[in-house]
Amino acid sequence: MLVQFLLTGLALGSIYGLVALGFAVIYKAERVFNFAQGILMVCGAYLAYTATTQLGLPFPVAVIVIIAAAALLGIVIQFLFIRPLSGQPLLPVIMITIALSIILKALIEILYGVQPKPLATSLPTGVLILGDVRLSQLNLTAAVVSWVCMGVFFAFFRFTKAGLLMRATADSHEAAILSGVNVNRINAGAWAIGTILAVIGGVFLGQIQLASTELEHIGLLALPAVVIGGLQSIPGAIVGGILVGVIEQLASGYISPKARDVFIYIPLLIMLLVRPWGLFGNRELGRV
Amino acid sequence: MTSVSTSRTAMPIDEFAPSAPARQKAAARPLRWLWLAVAAAVLVYLPFVLHDRAILGYRLSNIQLLNVGLAQLNLTLIAVLGAVSLNYLTGCAGLVSIGHAAFFAVGAMAAAATGAQLGLPFLVSLVAALIAGAAAGVLAGLPSLRVRGLYFVLSTMALHFIVVFAFSEYQYAAFDVFGISYPQPAIGPFALDSALKWYFFLLPIVVLCCLACNYSLKHREGRALLAVRDNEQAASSSGIDVRVLRLKAFAFSSAIASLAGALQAYYLTTVSTELYSLNLAISFIAMIIIGGMGSIAGGVVGALVWLLLPSVLTGFAGELGAAGGGLAKIFVEHRPQVVNLIFGSLVAVLLIFAPGGIVGAARKLTKLVRPGAEA
Repeated sequence: MLVQFLLTGLALGSIYGLVALGFAVIYKAERVFNFAQGILMVCGAYLAYTATTQLGLPFPVAVIVIIAAAALLGIVIQFLFIRPLSGQPLLPVIMITIALSIILKALIEILYGVQPKPLATSLPTGVLILGDVRLSQLNLTAAVVSWVCMGVFFAFFRFTKAGLLMRATADSHEAAILSGVNVNRINAGAWAIGTILAVIGGVFLGQIQLASTELEHIGLLALPAVVIGGLQSIPGAIVGGILVGVIEQLASGYISPKARDVFIYIPLLIMLLVRPWGLFGNRELGRV
Repeated sequence: MTSVSTSRTAMPIDEFAPSAPARQKAAARPLRWLWLAVAAAVLVYLPFVLHDRAILGYRLSNIQLLNVGLAQLNLTLIAVLGAVSLNYLTGCAGLVSIGHAAFFAVGAMAAAATGAQLGLPFLVSLVAALIAGAAAGVLAGLPSLRVRGLYFVLSTMALHFIVVFAFSEYQYAAFDVFGISYPQPAIGPFALDSALKWYFFLLPIVVLCCLACNYSLKHREGRALLAVRDNEQAASSSGIDVRVLRLKAFAFSSAIASLAGALQAYYLTTVSTELYSLNLAISFIAMIIIGGMGSIAGGVVGALVWLLLPSVLTGFAGELGAAGGGLAKIFVEHRPQVVNLIFGSLVAVLLIFAPGGIVGAARKLTKLVRPGAEA
């Protein structure tokens, strides 16, 4: 059983890691703590529903449409909601992302209704049996896709010019502006990436469960994931995501599904008290 | 937010040196008493209007009463307690908390343990809720000694999930899946068995809590809190013990929230763990943003808008009916979603265009209309 829980946890955790990575990208670029990340993930599930079931697009085309729509959504959100508040204190910025999540959730429920929708993507749905461990192919695909996405974005940040500019902007806004970087465009790009990552996670979670706004709660698990890993750190987000996935599976498997949240948030609280910069983050110098 | 803070911190001066505005203030005092008397009269008469659905014997239609009932008004009063106490913590002490629903849960648990399980009198269980809330507040405030800003926000969120888990375990262990049921509250021989009686029980509590917040903000510790919020280093170098002050603010705020939680539980007669969702905590933050951060009026206005607007909208949509066409139809079919959409957009628009909330915008307007008037 333990191996089963660990492997399922690892697969689910990879999806959380993906969503958390999107979260970390946005946080690094703009210092915006995005509470809407959960609902952006839900948007992914519904985008997949629209593209495959409502429009009936072939799967590869649907994937491209979903990703393009996600990027557009991220850019629009950054332009409408985040840019007017740049430089504001913590609460207004947090609150506008919460307002955004309320708005998006209401819109989704008005457009699609409150009933959960099954997704009909052509992702594999069989079960892989290794000894006495049953692993759903969907979970496995999700994990693999997550790892590929993480690799792609790692390479993007490490080797491309746009990635370099993003890292520079994240390090110091002022210095980037002085060097002639169009910071607004970089921030919009960060939101596009963050949204795409959340949406990919959402497609998988929507396929594993059903597309519904209830998925938002699962998406919000990216928050503890990213803090446990370290807010400033991209590998931290991934490791945090996997940790949260494994903890979730172990807690709901061995104790009870209700205990899931507590076993994730208690480590979060301990981490905040002992090592607030997370497992992988850089220590921020304390003030008086 | 900064505009509110400067006007607040600038206020102490007029107590020591009676400047021109202070003299004006003294001259305006009789008028102020008159306004207070009018407000008190309205607050006392309002429940009778809502109860009889008539004003001075003249019957009012439902829409003339804005589709608001007395039961909603009572729930609004309870929400005012929550919003005002959160505004004290977040707007005045600068500690952003998304764990406010947890204190409601603490109050409900304390009331359940003392009132429903031990069978102690109603007032005793309210006092128990106050004490439990203050204690929980000190515990919840402990991370503020170590972490700041965002990390602190997250610690309150973690706290929320831990308390809600404790609540659900308690509910399932001591009661059943349907929730905790509370006995009929009574003060001595006098039973609180109608909405009208509840109103006159809640109103003094709300007024008292607002006055307590106001008193605190006008005196040394409250001003020290505002100073800490505006500049922590400067405040602590002027001899303010930031840590103790924060814990006190937390205890005060959560004691009120916990009292409100106990009152809400008694008022609803049955509560279960689903009530204390993260959405409840978020709705309190939304209330103080809509009303205006850092002032008591802000909390009151925010709670009024948040709790009464939905039924006002429903009333008008019902009135429009078929004449309203497509929009009214969408509203009737998706009422909670449309209400959320309106609230979400309201919060976003206020954050971008009027960071001081409704109260802040109203103050700005008064200043425009009457330059030099007391804000």
